Amino acid sequence: MAVTTPTTPSRTGNGMGLRFSGAWLPALVAIVTYLTLPFGRPGRPFLTIEPDLYALELGAPLLWIVLLGAVASFVLSLLRLNTAVRGDALIATGTVGLGAGVLWFILSATPFGIGALLTLAALALVLGHALSESGRIQGDAFIATSILVVSLFVILFIIYPLFTVLRAAVIIDGSFDLSQLRRTLTHPLFFFLDNPRSQIDEIGLTLRWGMVVAVLTGAWAVFRRRSVPIVALRLVLGGIAGLIIGVLLYGRGALPTSLLTVAIVAPTCTLLGLAFALLGQRARFKPIRRSLDVISVLPIITPPFILAFAMIFLLGRRGIVTHGLFDMSSNWIYGIPGVAIAQILAFTPIAYLLLRGSISSLNPALEEAAQTLGAGPWTTMRTITWPLVRPGLAAAFLLSMIESLADFGNPIILGGDRNYLATEVYLSLTGRFNPNEAAAYGVVLLALVLGAFFIQRLWLGGGSFVTVTGKPSSGALAPIPRVLEIALTLVLFVWTVFVAALYVSIVVGSFAQLWGVNYTFTTRHYEDFMRAGWPVFLYTARVAAISAVPAMLLGFLVAYLVSRHRFFGRRFVEFGSLLSFATPGTVMGVAYIFAFNTGPWLLTASATIIILALVFRNMPVAIRAAVAGLAQIDPSLEEASTMLRARSLTTLRRVLFPLLVNTLVTGLIFAFVSAMTAVSQVIFLVSPGNQLATVLLLGWVEQGQLGRAAAMGTILIVSMLFTILVVLGLAQRISARVVRVEG
Amino acid sequence: MKRLTLVLVAAAALFLSHAQAQRVNLLCSPDLAWCEALGPAFTEATGIPLEFIRVSSQDALARIRAESANPVFDVWFGGTGDPHLIAMRDGVAEMYIPSTWDDIIPELKSVINEEYIPLYAGAIGFVINEEALGDLPLPRSWRDLTDPMYRGLIAMPDPTSSGTAYTTLATLLQVFGEEDGWELVEGIHMNVAQYTSSGSAPGQLAGRGEVAIAIQFMHDGVKFAAQGFPLTVFAPEEGVGYEIGGISLIANAPNRDAAIEFIEWALTPEAQAIAGDLGDSYQIQSNMNTVQHPLAPNFDEINLIEYDFDRWGDPAVRDQVLTRWLNDVFAIPR
Repeated sequence: MAVTTPTTPSRTGNGMGLRFSGAWLPALVAIVTYLTLPFGRPGRPFLTIEPDLYALELGAPLLWIVLLGAVASFVLSLLRLNTAVRGDALIATGTVGLGAGVLWFILSATPFGIGALLTLAALALVLGHALSESGRIQGDAFIATSILVVSLFVILFIIYPLFTVLRAAVIIDGSFDLSQLRRTLTHPLFFFLDNPRSQIDEIGLTLRWGMVVAVLTGAWAVFRRRSVPIVALRLVLGGIAGLIIGVLLYGRGALPTSLLTVAIVAPTCTLLGLAFALLGQRARFKPIRRSLDVISVLPIITPPFILAFAMIFLLGRRGIVTHGLFDMSSNWIYGIPGVAIAQILAFTPIAYLLLRGSISSLNPALEEAAQTLGAGPWTTMRTITWPLVRPGLAAAFLLSMIESLADFGNPIILGGDRNYLATEVYLSLTGRFNPNEAAAYGVVLLALVLGAFFIQRLWLGGGSFVTVTGKPSSGALAPIPRVLEIALTLVLFVWTVFVAALYVSIVVGSFAQLWGVNYTFTTRHYEDFMRAGWPVFLYTARVAAISAVPAMLLGFLVAYLVSRHRFFGRRFVEFGSLLSFATPGTVMGVAYIFAFNTGPWLLTASATIIILALVFRNMPVAIRAAVAGLAQIDPSLEEASTMLRARSLTTLRRVLFPLLVNTLVTGLIFAFVSAMTAVSQVIFLVSPGNQLATVLLLGWVEQGQLGRAAAMGTILIVSMLFTILVVLGLAQRISARVVRVEG
Repeated sequence: MKRLTLVLVAAAALFLSHAQAQRVNLLCSPDLAWCEALGPAFTEATGIPLEFIRVSSQDALARIRAESANPVFDVWFGGTGDPHLIAMRDGVAEMYIPSTWDDIIPELKSVINEEYIPLYAGAIGFVINEEALGDLPLPRSWRDLTDPMYRGLIAMPDPTSSGTAYTTLATLLQVFGEEDGWELVEGIHMNVAQYTSSGSAPGQLAGRGEVAIAIQFMHDGVKFAAQGFPLTVFAPEEGVGYEIGGISLIANAPNRDAAIEFIEWALTPEAQAIAGDLGDSYQIQSNMNTVQHPLAPNFDEINLIEYDFDRWGDPAVRDQVLTRWLNDVFAIPR
């Protein structure tokens, strides 16, 4: 490594005379913070300055190495050496300093103090400079540091907490023990098929399903005149599929219940999403698109639990529709039907948003070309349209599947006598005092979600999860056939009426004396809300706002690095952000409790841990927005800027930011709104003085304070809708102006 | 890069949380209205600020255990007795004898072997919506509930997640003996429309007519009736079990002095009167000098069983009962 790599941005080659490394400043900061600020802290408070917590007082040999690393880095960065050699040396000193510090915390399990935080962060910056100057990472110091910081965050706040869950599932009281995992997996709450007390023979019925489906698929293969091995294969696959259907239908317990619900919800959401996307993009009647835009934001602005209750009042045993209109008295809504309906209502708009991208990026010219070449409509559909829509459909399916598996609010209200995986995580931790069992359920959920991801990857043949987005193409789109349009419009109409009825009933409920019993007008629920809920609401808004900024910045950074740079660990960063997005909220919440309650990362019972949980939960939203935005910008703009010697931070600031204002603000708003309505990931993290609106809402719902809950729901919905409309409107204006000025 | 360093320093500042002065961090398990009324009254009486979080008693125990290395909370107020007992035996809560100890109703102290501080008592009962029952007769006894005519009309909490439901199971097993008791539990199971995760939810379902009969604590039923739900509350004739809610000092509480002051205050007649007056809570309060609220179910008129808290509060017994319920009862399709 004696030769300076040409890609390093060091200026030794062009005689600009910058003889020392940029690492001198962070190294100096590391030394100063090491000497002046406490390294540990006594408990939760960060700002207590106690002399015996200073690194020098602690006197551990490892801490001397930290100081040594920092001083060595500082001296080295001022030496006139070959840039690459100096970079390598700085990598060594930085790593030694950082590693010693981290090791000390792991070994001593002392909560880290403000000094440690700053010192180690500064050493990470030294390392970033060093990696860039040595040419080990292709990019300038900013890129190198960003990669380092993002990877560190992914390890600390995503991988490490999940690892603790995994550990809690198999390590009980300090020793490796699979009994808890086994007990959970063989427990009737998790899964059982044969029920000796039932009149029906579950195993026999399941086997019959296996046989029937096997025979059907085999017969179909014979009919299509396939070769013998293929017929045999179809028989086996059909048999397996049939058995799975049987198990889902006759099995009881959380696993078959969750999976059966997914099997209903995910295809329905995908199909409805596709229908709405077709309608939105290709309908002749324009107002439809407007109403779809409103529908698509509803789920994220709707707080949990409330919609499920509105459903009970419309469709329950005494429901306005079921009992009032049709004089039914049945509990059908409790269980899989109710949960499935609630989830379809909530997740179809998400599928729609994804599919809107891929439908709008369909280039009609391709379909026309196929037809000109003599392909029939079905052949065109199969060979052109389907492969193009397939990634979008797969993404929509996967997303609705994950959301359905992770959903916690609907099953807990509407689950009836069926139990769900996501609620079992919560109930085993809070109801049965068994964190190990909660962890075991978490592992199952995680395995299901990741399994689905890898199947999707296999099916789509690679392709980045992050970059699955659509780029709208210009050009006239062929309208859909009139019959189809009328049918789809009808579906949309029924949907809209139903959703509108639900939201109206929430508002009505918030003004009724006793929702469901006594509909005399009152404002007392709003008075109660102002007294008991308003401070919490404001606090939640503050926390959500604080979390939205780093979520957006980090999301943008990840999107920029992943889509514009090739670097070692890129897949890892991608995988990490995938994990944070795919992990069900309750599992992540449990993980944060396990990970951040003791040792160096003592963060429980603070606003910090809530903010961190929200940042890493909502980061993927921002990543998606930023990737979509970046995809619209030609990389040649940045190349031009780089060629004019702008550093990447400058390019980011002067070129990309102005072009992406709109996207970034959208990402910011959605991160904020999602943080406001999040529940499952923060339910375990609230503490006195750090109460959140949605968790309070769950408390009210459990206590039967439905009027108050409806009042808070109404206020949340209205204020979030207002935020989205006003802020996004403003952002569009600003971005239009920026583009005019800069352009 | 200098600017980036500054940004990082600023970001680190985000991590800072404020140092806290002496105050009471309360883990509050009874009705929300009661929890809300406590803070202002306590602060007025002592000048010490109070922050609370309302969580069910099961959830509370889970949190106290999870945080035992670095407790956040100082006092655990209310909630079923069993988890208080477990917390004491686990050492995550510590026994503190308040100065009002001698004023606490002696029976309440003796049945739990003085292992935790009794705060209130409440009995299990039926909470019935007669409108939703239609032409069917009112069930008077536990045995009535097994009649097939009540099929799909009963709600009770899920014993695996609710202390209320566990108390119900333990009651049935104590009233009817193991064998008949389980048979009865099975018979009731056939009529249950829904097991709820929260102990007080069945009464709401009954109040809104989603079911007709709820099995839960009578004082919760009285509360819903007072809120305007069309509900009647009574105890079945064979006898009912009861809970003795507790108040516990968390071991290694961060604000121990304030915590003790709170416990002292909470057991005074004035503080206990808050439950019924402001807190929508109608349990029998543990201090014998407290004027009981007129709506509170009168224990003299209820056939209370001799509930064996030592045996049925034992985690091993509890585990055994719940496992049997899950495997042999819950699994039966309805």
